[in-house]
Amino acid sequence: MSAPSLVKPEAVPVTRSPAKPLTFGARLRRDWPLILMCVPAMLLLAVFHYLPALGNVIAFQDYNPFAGDSPLQAFLQSEWIGFGNFQYLFETPAFWESVRNTLGITAFQLIFYFPVPIALALLLNSIMSPRLRSFVQSVVYLPHFFSWVLVVSLFQMMLGGAGLIAQTARDAGFTAPDFMTNPDTFYFLITSQAIWKDAGWGMIVFLAALAAIDPNLYEAAAADGAGRMRRFWHITLPGLRPVIVLLLILRLGDALNVGFEQFYLQREAVGRDAAEVLDTYVYFQGIGVQQWGVGAAAGLFKALVGLLLILGANKIAHRLGEQGIYSKS
Amino acid sequence: MSASTSRRTFLGLAGLGVASVAMGCSKKPGSTGTATNAEQAAGVVPTFKDSNLITPDVKGIRPMADGYVKYPANLVDAITEKAITSGKPVTATTPWWGPAPPTSNKYVEAVGADMGGTITFSVQDGNTYGDKLNTMLGARDVPELTCIPGWEINKLARFSDGVHVLFEDLTPYLAGDKASAYPLLAGLDTAAWKDSVWGGKLMGVPFPTDSPYPTALFIRKDVADQRGIATPTSLDSLYEFGKKFTNPDKGEWAFGDIFLEVLQICGAPGSQNGWTKAADGKVIHRYETEQYKRALEWMARVYKEKLIHPDLASSKGGDVTTLFKGGKIFSYATGLGSWKETQREKTREGKGFNMQAVKVFGADASTPPVRWGGTPSIMWTFVKKGLGQDRTQELLRVLNYTAAPFGTKEYELQNYGVEGTHFTRDANGAPKTNETFTKEFANQFIFLGGRPAVVVSDPDLPTYAQDLVGWGNDATKYLEKDPWAGIKVETPSSQAAIQQPTDDKVTDILRGRRPLSDFDKVVQEWRAGGGDQARDFYAKVLADNGR
Repeated sequence: MSAPSLVKPEAVPVTRSPAKPLTFGARLRRDWPLILMCVPAMLLLAVFHYLPALGNVIAFQDYNPFAGDSPLQAFLQSEWIGFGNFQYLFETPAFWESVRNTLGITAFQLIFYFPVPIALALLLNSIMSPRLRSFVQSVVYLPHFFSWVLVVSLFQMMLGGAGLIAQTARDAGFTAPDFMTNPDTFYFLITSQAIWKDAGWGMIVFLAALAAIDPNLYEAAAADGAGRMRRFWHITLPGLRPVIVLLLILRLGDALNVGFEQFYLQREAVGRDAAEVLDTYVYFQGIGVQQWGVGAAAGLFKALVGLLLILGANKIAHRLGEQGIYSKS
Repeated sequence: MSASTSRRTFLGLAGLGVASVAMGCSKKPGSTGTATNAEQAAGVVPTFKDSNLITPDVKGIRPMADGYVKYPANLVDAITEKAITSGKPVTATTPWWGPAPPTSNKYVEAVGADMGGTITFSVQDGNTYGDKLNTMLGARDVPELTCIPGWEINKLARFSDGVHVLFEDLTPYLAGDKASAYPLLAGLDTAAWKDSVWGGKLMGVPFPTDSPYPTALFIRKDVADQRGIATPTSLDSLYEFGKKFTNPDKGEWAFGDIFLEVLQICGAPGSQNGWTKAADGKVIHRYETEQYKRALEWMARVYKEKLIHPDLASSKGGDVTTLFKGGKIFSYATGLGSWKETQREKTREGKGFNMQAVKVFGADASTPPVRWGGTPSIMWTFVKKGLGQDRTQELLRVLNYTAAPFGTKEYELQNYGVEGTHFTRDANGAPKTNETFTKEFANQFIFLGGRPAVVVSDPDLPTYAQDLVGWGNDATKYLEKDPWAGIKVETPSSQAAIQQPTDDKVTDILRGRRPLSDFDKVVQEWRAGGGDQARDFYAKVLADNGR
């Protein structure tokens, strides 16, 4: 049995006619309204994604924005240094330390953060009252719209040395451990912050997947005598599986992306060894010291690793009979 | 995607990786530093002609600016001819740390009208000003007048190249006696003008500071007096001060981060980010001095004993000024420029809040302190390149207008707006600003161009001029002599790249994550990573200038 897809298969597949394929002109005459409708989106993509991607050329240059007579000339006339920027990066131990930290945080959050939105969605889905459910849903996803500065300050007010917990403990004659400045527990701290901020937001897509599961399946299973646990195991989880796998693959592709602000804000508090991630490294050693080529090189490296991870994970998903990020034709 | 394609892609990627290893000989990126010779700079700056009109109430010992306690009764109309004659609006970009002012703005209109035209301001958020500038400069799309603070210049990519591409060389207009066409610009401090020279050319109009000191150590004098705690006069008494003020049960801690102050108390050098010329003529950095080690040790102890507010130790977002104003901390280091605003806000609440800069002291009786001097100019205004001689002269007349000193009608109009609309006068004739002013005023004309710096008391802060100039005059005794004074040093990017990792390691030691004994190793790494190279660079700059 193939896994049920997110979208209900309403569209009836077009029956292939045995006649020979249409000419380009004929297809153009037939499809032009569709193509026209796609044009704005394609233009957006071209202008805001493909065109700027050409700027990656500075990863191979000692980029000087003021070379030549115009900004465009600057790209053409900056000195070509081949892999000099990459070499600079790869020879710097601090770069690899930041990569290691980033991957460590990704791995940690895959285990301790990734399942949280799923669990939350399942819990929420079991609430019967629609009003209560939408209320809880709004409350838990609202923090997604707060900035990291706010989230970190909030955690500081609760857990910091002058925070609520520390102050209450002092009143009672104890000393509370300092959660905010301990490098050893930093992973827990940032993961709690991530859960508080984003778990509710991440839950929405799982709720949608849950809503797409055909209620008839539950009724039929219940009629056949399946209990709560069995229905969960045989209907709910398989129904969620394609979405879980899809998001897992996308998350892997983002393995070198754990965010910037959260780490920038707390970097001094726990030290570089614990909190330097790729993005903060690029900020301090690329942008902060005007080495834009180095920053671009790190960006390319990140994209390349992400692409490899996505392709790899997708391949594995296909092997396991999952749909992955696109179905295999 | 078929299996074969992905295999080919993979091989291609692997090939790229191999190539990057094989290209081991490719050139590394980075700018090399430059420096403008001191003599060269002296040749292009305007001849100084004092433009001050009023005798100061508190005379400042240079480089400290003069203080004025009373508002002058008779204002001078310094500029009678209109600055803008073409009728063409002037475009300008300035920073502002506050809510954006309305575009329909009576304050901007009034000053513009007095100049004879209109100024179209693009006021940008000061906190992200550097990002905006990077984009504007990179796109080479700058307004006719661009205001750039000194601390942003270090963040701008290849500014020493960009300044000549984007902005007009003002040497032909202002060098030497040519500046007499702009008498008020000629009244700006010569040291600030020398600081405006890039690559041997006069590139910008400076914004002179009222004092050279980047920061001072402030305490809550009112609470200290109330609790009978003595003002610190040595490193030991500063520690005692911290102990007595720290009381976590009441949510009170003594300090904000005061490391830069402690370095000066211990006598560590600060020119050019910590370089100095030792007695034996060698160029050394403060990392290599005993004074630095002593400060580090003291500060690490203060962190360990938790005399610093935990919010400041746990996130960059901690707001030290709010903690100080709220009575959560009692001493911190900040720029002298914020003294007036902080004190004014609390004065208006009327609860006896009194913040004072601590009289400069040394670590102990035998250790003289130093006070680091900042750059003589903290901001520059640049004129867009290629506007033609007539327009450039017109824009310089606008900057001549903004350079109007204290005691002129132009100064009052730019600082307080229009009488009746933006301010009223108190019994002594001093302007008291109102709500309209607060809404419309975003330092537009103040940042547009510099003027001779003055320290002025106002009705809310009657002793401000005496306090600040008094403190500065005393501090001048300890002002560090910068061996590179008058030379515009543009540091190489390799040196900038070594700074942050070293700062990180020092922070680790301060916060107790690394032992103090690691510091020698940190210095070794710093020397090998670019510190020694930077030493050669700075030594060469001195040698080239015959110092």
